[in-house]
Amino acid sequence: MKEKFEIDSNSNVLFVTDQCNNRCIMCCQPPKRKDDFDYYYKKNVALVKSAPKETKTVCITGGEPTLSGDRFIELVRLVRNELPDTEIQILSNGRLFANHTLAQLLKEVGGEKVFVGVPLHSDYAGDHDKIAGSKGAFNETMLGLYNLAEEGVAVELRVVICKMNYQRMPQMADYIFKNLYFVSWVALMGMEDTGYATKNANHIWIEPVDYSNQLCKAVDLLDGWGIPVAIFNIPLCLLPQDYHHFAAQSISDWKTRYLDICDGCILKDKCCGLFSTSKKTYQGLKPYTPSF
Amino acid sequence: MKNYTLLPFNFTRLLGKEVLVNELGDMLITPIGTANKIVEHSINNEELYKSLVANFFISEELLPSLLDIYASRLRLKKSFLDDRTALHIFVLTLRCNQNCIYCQASSREEGSKHCSMTYKMMEQSVHLMFRSHSPSLTMEFQGGEPSLEPTLIKYGIELAEEINQKECRDISYVLCTNCRNLTDDLLELCKRYHVLISTSLDGPSYIHNKNRGREDSYEKTIAGIQKARMILGDEAVSALMTTSELALDYPKEIVDEYVQDGFTDIFLRALNPYGLASENENWEYYNERFVAFYKAALDYIIYLNKQGTFFREVYASIILRKMLTPYTTGFVDLQSPAGTVNSVLIYNYDGYVYASDESRMLAENGDYTFRLGKISDKYEDIVYGEKVRNMGKIWANEALAGCSDCPVKAYCGADPVRHHSTQGDMYGFRPSSFVCKKNKAIIEYLISLLIERGDEVMPIFRSWLR
Repeated sequence: MKEKFEIDSNSNVLFVTDQCNNRCIMCCQPPKRKDDFDYYYKKNVALVKSAPKETKTVCITGGEPTLSGDRFIELVRLVRNELPDTEIQILSNGRLFANHTLAQLLKEVGGEKVFVGVPLHSDYAGDHDKIAGSKGAFNETMLGLYNLAEEGVAVELRVVICKMNYQRMPQMADYIFKNLYFVSWVALMGMEDTGYATKNANHIWIEPVDYSNQLCKAVDLLDGWGIPVAIFNIPLCLLPQDYHHFAAQSISDWKTRYLDICDGCILKDKCCGLFSTSKKTYQGLKPYTPSF
Repeated sequence: MKNYTLLPFNFTRLLGKEVLVNELGDMLITPIGTANKIVEHSINNEELYKSLVANFFISEELLPSLLDIYASRLRLKKSFLDDRTALHIFVLTLRCNQNCIYCQASSREEGSKHCSMTYKMMEQSVHLMFRSHSPSLTMEFQGGEPSLEPTLIKYGIELAEEINQKECRDISYVLCTNCRNLTDDLLELCKRYHVLISTSLDGPSYIHNKNRGREDSYEKTIAGIQKARMILGDEAVSALMTTSELALDYPKEIVDEYVQDGFTDIFLRALNPYGLASENENWEYYNERFVAFYKAALDYIIYLNKQGTFFREVYASIILRKMLTPYTTGFVDLQSPAGTVNSVLIYNYDGYVYASDESRMLAENGDYTFRLGKISDKYEDIVYGEKVRNMGKIWANEALAGCSDCPVKAYCGADPVRHHSTQGDMYGFRPSSFVCKKNKAIIEYLISLLIERGDEVMPIFRSWLR
């Protein structure tokens, strides 16, 4: 986390808390139980007040930022007042928005340039709950998504692909089109190998080469229905060329890493690279050379 | 697999599969025996079980937590009801300059008198139209041949524009014309108010001219289409075809004609039993042949799309939108509650308001069942009158015998007017209903395409629905 914001950075982060009401099996930043709301709130206020007015994007995250309740809403209000043109990105599991009032408040204080990135792990509640490590999480997240949509808050859906959900990626794409047709876009994401993901690797780790069929089918379905879709965190060399234009440079600038073999790759500039925080790299990485 | 309760769904068997459809129109294609296994709690396929839960066929909770989402999705499927009547059809005259063999509107000679709307009626009709709450209104001019009454069209549009300065609705205008009489003045008016042209084209000249009862009809229509496109733009001109008995033998030729004329879609419409068309003798035979014609034409259209020509069949697109997307359509013939009154009102040249286009055609044969009141009557007396209230009892297929347990009811609609005219009973008797037979055959054919040729047809169907 930075001590000062940079205008063009994609990682101007307001970290709200280490606490979370989910225990996602692949969490890269395992939550803590300590009451840290005040500590981070003070830090965040200072960060926002010293930020350049031209800052493009601010990301409010945690842990689960909505757990801080009033302070969460106050923080959004502060950003909106201090940085009226800055886009506010909120990363939340969406559960607390099952309370309609919170969705309403967010819209009220945040205005138009707010979007919430919400992870969805499966179309089947049982699988989602298992991955989120909390029973009832799916239902609350779904109700939260509907409340946000009703208030007109833009929603980005994030699907982290793991061994427990990759097989239903096509079904999930259909589910999203039928039941979450209002989302602004969907990001299908490769896993970061750190935190719980490393600890639970046996149950959840899967190589992109092993799920690329299901991933591409889901991309085809969402794209075919006109829902904007992006592939996050998967280097271009692991994707069929027809799908390169769906891939985004999704990894925060401060934790992007390339391997030595990437130096010879002609697509390096367009590639998301790898997480510097990941313990292991993906299988099958190879540089694109002019003759490739 | 956990304990679960059943949510409402119907099912049918097609091509060795069991097709389950829930109240939202969401469909699952499953192995034969699935419905029975659901009931007996003996599903042993874990992925199928998950799909059944995710798609609202069974629930792991007694009272599903996501019931509000189910309700919200059902509301979206019925959103055509939200704003009341959007389509307002103005039948300006029965006068016509053609002599179509299957005329559905009992047209009269071009020089006939006393069969056109008066200015007073137009004024009252336009005021009635604005009584509907719908934020978008479509004012559609029909006949006879409405272009024979150009000053009445002008008067109607200008009056609507004037009233709309205060009302601020989103108004669109449609002129249904055979394109024989598109004068420069009329097209100028169309350009000024962005009037869309909807014309009839039945296929190549040997079909079109025979159907339309004039040697030069094809030539005139094509020339009219080109003239209208030049002045109004390609997008402003669309065409409809009606499948005469002659046309039944030429599915491919008719589609080719449309492609060649630069259209990107076609609406393959069956004859309906009104006006002259009801003298057509063997309806059962015609219906069977129409379904075969429709399938052949649709297959050919799919083939063309695979070759890279974007070309859409409109009737299939309407059904597929209900089947494959969370959305619905505004198409009045496939709605439940029915499109009559809810989605369409007719202001007829005779000074009366009717429940649907078909209703006013019945009136030409002396059947005034669906005459809702005078154009000069109060709006409330017309749309909340006794006739409409009686129709209201039988216009939802969810509550009709023979429909409520139909597996494909979510893609179909209720049609009290058609059942009245063909069976003498608004409620209708499905086992002998031609409209039921035809719709079911087409809907099931679309499902069977998904089963047998899913990977091939789905990208095409999706492109039609975008």
